[in-house]
Amino acid sequence: MDFDFDPADESFREEVRSFIHDALPADIRERNVRNYHANRADTRRWTTILHERGWSAPSWPVAKGGTGWTPMQQFIFDEENFAAGAPLLETGGLKMIGPVIYTFGTPAQHERFNVPFLRGEISWGQGFSEPGAGSDLASLTTRAERQGDEWVITGHKMWTTNGHYANWLYLLVRTDPTQKQRGLSLILVPADAPGVTISPIIDIGEGHSLNEMFFDEVRVPAENLVGEENKGWTYAKFLLDRERAFSAEIPRNKRNFALLKQIAREARRGGRPLIEDGAFAARLAQLESDLDGLTWMTLRALARQGDSSWDLPVGSILKVRGTELQQTIGEMHVEALGDRGAYVYPEPDFATGEHHWPPGPDYAPGVLADFLYRRAVSIYGGSNEIQRTIIARQYLGL
Amino acid sequence: MDFELNHEQVLLQDSVRRFVEKQYDFDTRRKLVREGGGFDPKHWAVFAELGWLAIGLPEKHGGLGGSAVELAIILEELGKGLVVEPFLPVAVLAAQALAAAGVTGEAAQVLADIGTGAARPVLAHGEIDALGEIAFVETAAVRGASGWSLTGRKSLVVGAPFATHYLVSARTSGAPDDPQGISLFLLQPGDAGLERIDVRLSDSSRASEIVLSAAEVPAARLIGTEGNAFAALAAAHAHATTLICAEAIGAMDKALWITRDYLKTRQQFGQPIGNFQALQHRMADMLIELELSRAQLFGALAALGSAPAVRDRAVSSAKVQIGKAARLVGGQAIQLHGGIGITEEYVIGHYFKRLTMINNAFGNVGYHLDRMSRLAAV
Ligand SMILES: Cc1cc2nc3c(=O)[nH]c(=O)nc-3n(C[C@H](O)[C@H](O)[C@H](O)COP(=O)(O)OP(=O)(O)OC[C@H]3O[C@@H](n4cnc5c(N)ncnc54)[C@H](O)[C@@H]3O)c2cc1C
Repeated sequence: MDFDFDPADESFREEVRSFIHDALPADIRERNVRNYHANRADTRRWTTILHERGWSAPSWPVAKGGTGWTPMQQFIFDEENFAAGAPLLETGGLKMIGPVIYTFGTPAQHERFNVPFLRGEISWGQGFSEPGAGSDLASLTTRAERQGDEWVITGHKMWTTNGHYANWLYLLVRTDPTQKQRGLSLILVPADAPGVTISPIIDIGEGHSLNEMFFDEVRVPAENLVGEENKGWTYAKFLLDRERAFSAEIPRNKRNFALLKQIAREARRGGRPLIEDGAFAARLAQLESDLDGLTWMTLRALARQGDSSWDLPVGSILKVRGTELQQTIGEMHVEALGDRGAYVYPEPDFATGEHHWPPGPDYAPGVLADFLYRRAVSIYGGSNEIQRTIIARQYLGL
Repeated sequence: MDFELNHEQVLLQDSVRRFVEKQYDFDTRRKLVREGGGFDPKHWAVFAELGWLAIGLPEKHGGLGGSAVELAIILEELGKGLVVEPFLPVAVLAAQALAAAGVTGEAAQVLADIGTGAARPVLAHGEIDALGEIAFVETAAVRGASGWSLTGRKSLVVGAPFATHYLVSARTSGAPDDPQGISLFLLQPGDAGLERIDVRLSDSSRASEIVLSAAEVPAARLIGTEGNAFAALAAAHAHATTLICAEAIGAMDKALWITRDYLKTRQQFGQPIGNFQALQHRMADMLIELELSRAQLFGALAALGSAPAVRDRAVSSAKVQIGKAARLVGGQAIQLHGGIGITEEYVIGHYFKRLTMINNAFGNVGYHLDRMSRLAAV
């Protein structure tokens, strides 16, 4: 064992930090450091800037247009990116459908979708869940029928993150109604195809990132199928393992913990700094300890990424505790803001930057909206109940 | 001891419950908070007509002389309906502050007018740097030729946009955290030097920050005696804290049963999700926290008439339990719903928002634990 950081990783961190410092436009930073939902225009602009540097796909191999970075380098990049207030890169394209396309799709599909995606030109929406198919995803009923050289798609998808920004959708659809998992396929659909309707779902933080999508006999060419027919389930699952080391969202937890400390230093209780309140300081220390544990587990998982002999369900462990930590930090943000933790600070207008905020410190806007939205992190991506079942069944053999 | 409601109390509970069920369904509430500004005068008229506003007022001030138990019955039912009109800020917090301050003259009239709905005073006491500490007041009142001049800022004055009067606390002597030297003044909308900044809150109710810039207040508008308002403020906060616990219990109760019903109908993996033992145990824990909260509410209600140290210990103990329970019940009600739970269109997230606000109102868990240990040390 050797617990020292590789000096090469430390100089890599410096390189990333100084690049982001110079390249991140101030207006993008200003909007994204506040934890409102990222706007597509910002993500696109930032992707373009990173693309010029060759960095728009930190987790992809060089041969596919990525950076070829080690898992540790990817993690460092994520940390620096998030700490600087840059928008997150689009996870759907980067971590899900892009790799599925270059692994199971055709070279033509890679040229058509992944290459423009790296330039920031394509934004994906993931259409997996349905009203009746959430945790039990394999029971989904959206149907794709083959008619000549076309697929005809009819159904109802729910909870599509950033569906309103998407120009392309990747759908998990039923192509064989006689099978469950083995009757599903992955099909790519233009968001503006006739018969597609995308409508907003507003979350309890009053933000818009979610959508529902209706497909009414939508026709796409046969070549929009990814990989083989009825293998969609395998493709949908194949990346989960590769991404497991990132499940605790350490970069977000670190930035939000730093914000909590800042609020605790500035907030007063009975006129004295909150951070000097013994009980509050002890709770802060508890969170810091939780964060340390998750960070070291993440470092271990990064080091062992791709090692299939290591079967600890580390992704599930990191997901459960990482999401709980996000929620606890958010709760304490709101608590430490005191009276102003109850005030609604509406999201500014994107085009003009205009906002109607009640009085409060500069860091207050966005805190409540983010706290409320983050109730979802223990629900999506396999709920925490499902993760615990995975730990108990698959690892403990219960 | 008797933990049963008497006949009149059952009738009261029924009447509030009927109001919530018939006139305050979720769609009506949604319209009210989106288009109606979060206050419907017709609702307030109902509160007055049915005697709810007068119930907690002393008989000598035109009230019905009921106890806090009656108010708790009302608030529990209002909590179930997520009623946004400022019943607690006016009929409990402001009313108790006035009653405990020993009012005469104009202020006595304001107190009496609460019952009829003619007056809606709110207490403008909290300040940003207080964070629950009742004795912390930096707003200053300086004596002038014909009265007082007030300067300072009050935050989260719930119900202020609809108020007819503001009961403003200000320091007439002493250090910022000194219980001695706090005085109460009667102000009104439109008073010179008083600016109101209205704010929408997380649970869709409305509040204001009130900024006082050398606001002139005539000497006759000092409520009670100079420098001695702390006891009245503490008594009013004990009442309001206890009764917001009652409201939380109503909100938790409703959120729990909505979730229970959802678990019986939502199907995944070919069966109702309520079949999964992990979720059954979660619901069992929610019920345990709810019922412990109810038990603590009884303890706080029993202590409201006791000496301040005894009273405040019991109130803090209840608020600690309610905070813990609100977190679990509110958060897990969303969790057990899955994605639908985090949508603005669906009701359950609104219980979570209200419960989060209640947890942070009148001192959060950390504040009340601290106060309990201070009181225990005496
Ligand atoms: C913010 C957000 C973003 C999302 N983005 C997308 C997206 O871009 N694309 C997409 O396709 N989907 C997306 N989803 C959907 C997400 O994947 C589902 O919400 C999730 O799978 C849960 O499904 P459900 O909401 O139907 O809840 P349900 O599956 O109905 O679950 C309800 C409750 O039951 C529990 N439960 C279910 N089964 C079991 C069991 N067997 N044992 C114990 N407990 C169980 C759950 O844990 C949960 O607490 C998103 C969801 C959210 C909230």
